[in-house]
Amino acid sequence: MNVELEINNSASADARFVSWAPSPCRIRMTNPAGAPGPQVNVTLTCVSASASAGLVVFRRNPTGAFSSSITLPVPVSGATVPFFVAGRFGRPSVNNNDVKIEARAGTTLIGGIKLMVRIRKDANSLTAAERDRFVNAFAKLNNQGAGRFVDFRNMHTLVSSPQAHGAPGFLPWHRAYLLDLERELQAIDPSVALPYWRFDKPAPRLFTRDFMGVSNAVGRVQFTAGHPFIFWTTDGVQGINRIPLNNWAPTTQAAPGARTEAATLALGAQFSGFRTMEGNPHGTAHTVWDGSISDIPTAAKDPLFFLLHCNVDRLWAKWQRQNARFNPAQAGSFSGSGSNPIGHNLPDTMWPWNGITGGSRPPTAPGGALAGSPCVNAPGAQPMVRDTFDFQGSVSAGSRLGFDYDDVALA
Amino acid sequence: MTTKRKAAKSSKSSPKRKTPARSARTAFAMATNSEKTPKQRIAAMSEVPLAVCENDENLQAILNVLRNEAEPVPVRLAALQSLQAASFSVISFQPCRADYIATLRKIATDPDPEIRQRALGILARDKDGFAQKKLIQGLQNPDQALLPPEKALQLLSNDVHAEAYAIAREMVKNPPNEIAKQEALRLLAADAESAPIFEKHLRDKEETREVREISAAALQSINPQKMHAEARKIVLDKSDHDDIQATSLTALATTSDDTEAAFIDEELFKEVERLRSKGSANVKKSARRFLSKFGR
Repeated sequence: MNVELEINNSASADARFVSWAPSPCRIRMTNPAGAPGPQVNVTLTCVSASASAGLVVFRRNPTGAFSSSITLPVPVSGATVPFFVAGRFGRPSVNNNDVKIEARAGTTLIGGIKLMVRIRKDANSLTAAERDRFVNAFAKLNNQGAGRFVDFRNMHTLVSSPQAHGAPGFLPWHRAYLLDLERELQAIDPSVALPYWRFDKPAPRLFTRDFMGVSNAVGRVQFTAGHPFIFWTTDGVQGINRIPLNNWAPTTQAAPGARTEAATLALGAQFSGFRTMEGNPHGTAHTVWDGSISDIPTAAKDPLFFLLHCNVDRLWAKWQRQNARFNPAQAGSFSGSGSNPIGHNLPDTMWPWNGITGGSRPPTAPGGALAGSPCVNAPGAQPMVRDTFDFQGSVSAGSRLGFDYDDVALA
Repeated sequence: MTTKRKAAKSSKSSPKRKTPARSARTAFAMATNSEKTPKQRIAAMSEVPLAVCENDENLQAILNVLRNEAEPVPVRLAALQSLQAASFSVISFQPCRADYIATLRKIATDPDPEIRQRALGILARDKDGFAQKKLIQGLQNPDQALLPPEKALQLLSNDVHAEAYAIAREMVKNPPNEIAKQEALRLLAADAESAPIFEKHLRDKEETREVREISAAALQSINPQKMHAEARKIVLDKSDHDDIQATSLTALATTSDDTEAAFIDEELFKEVERLRSKGSANVKKSARRFLSKFGR
């Protein structure tokens, strides 16, 4: 007797990634030999590769409590039976396939599937293997200046900046931007999730020659021999320029003047108040450095930019959960829609993914449509501002964006 | 008596919440008050970005702090940082931009070297022609230099022009210091005509690791086939340095096209497999990455 399991309702191995938000899954009988009747009770359990590896939980229905195992009546006809799987909060994977779901009829193992609880983590907490996979994938995306990263660099310039800054669409635009980049990284290595730089804390394991590098006296970032970022190239010039200002030591100190997480979350329950975080801590985290990352025209040349913004996005995610602000239509979740500049209203599609150029949009639209995912359908190729809010599918399951943060639980 | 009690009750029942905008205005007053200590003013500056472009008076107040050579340098630098942070809110900063750029150009020749460097850095990243001209002038005539040559070269690489290539080539030939040579090489990395320079420096085992790394990266960009040929030689050369071997393996492992294919053969695989077990930590790591690319 055998059963087949699918994660995210897909047979593809590329879809075997879950987060804290429930993923739709299914099971069906592929070989009913030995089945005692028209259906068989199959129990699913989770086996973790190690104490530090991922764990998943199950539930039968779209809503309700999760449990560490589930028993499903599976017909011998081969008809599929749906169920849901989610990462158990606090137990993200550290490697691909470090979680296995086993299916048993009684005590007999009749099927299984390996998957990953893929979560965005604090960059300072990554294992060496996680760090290296991320760096390798990012370097490949850059491909010494000739890779797809060119588009991401060109999405964030002075000319394009009104699409993304200084108005309520700042957080939604950057969420879409990060998601697009992350999906491109996952196309290279599906085990990669974008990590975040927790700029209100010291980051001794992030600012090392093995990871984001250490600045020399003139602000040129140095890496260990053979580090893939040695070849990092943007605008035809090799290297990364970044140096902490005023003798600040990022390995032992938080970014000076940056609003703490607690203070950021206390900016108020209304989006109009919370979004002032664009100035501080976001702007402050950019400008505690001298170098590319400190100015809009060049900020995206530095790979650290994406870790900085991942933390900005995490703060938004945390604020959303704290204040139940996943529904963009709900008062307080957003501000000024209808009277904001183009690209900053809920029903606006966002440049560059909408491909619109000229007029109030920039003259070019690099990169094309937003990357798809084998795990989820949202937010679509040309997302609207409103499509970035319900990232966990709390309001509508179909809105799930396929990412979660290590310290932001399912709402 | 009654009035006082009423006032107390009123204050208990409706405490005035400090909105972000209110906090910014309070901080603004502190930051621009020359009677406060530098430490107080610098701490207040981090809350100022929100208030900078609320009106022209605020903007000018912060710009005045930045322009004023009599103000303590740390306070001026904190003002600059606030303006930079404010500039990220592009839509509201747009009306402030012209005055901001004008001030940066003015302080590009400030007596304080750090003020000059920060201002020229922002301008160079903005591809400002005024800044580029000043930087090139300083490289051509060192007594007019506003920044050390290595920093000037680094900033010019934000918007490379042919004019800078000639200066950079000269700097490589006759470097004022080692770091200036490195920055000059980086600036030349997009110049196809400089390929022979990079080949020469990559092959030279007496060169510093940084120079050979920069040369490897530049050659990879200008002429990948040449780089892969050199990388192969370096990896097979047991007398060459570990560090450059690790870098060469990374060059071969992280390209996404097939240009390296012509230089990959069993001899190379055999040596890389040896390095995977016998090499230094960095070489082992690069060897694993290389072999993993080819499924070995």
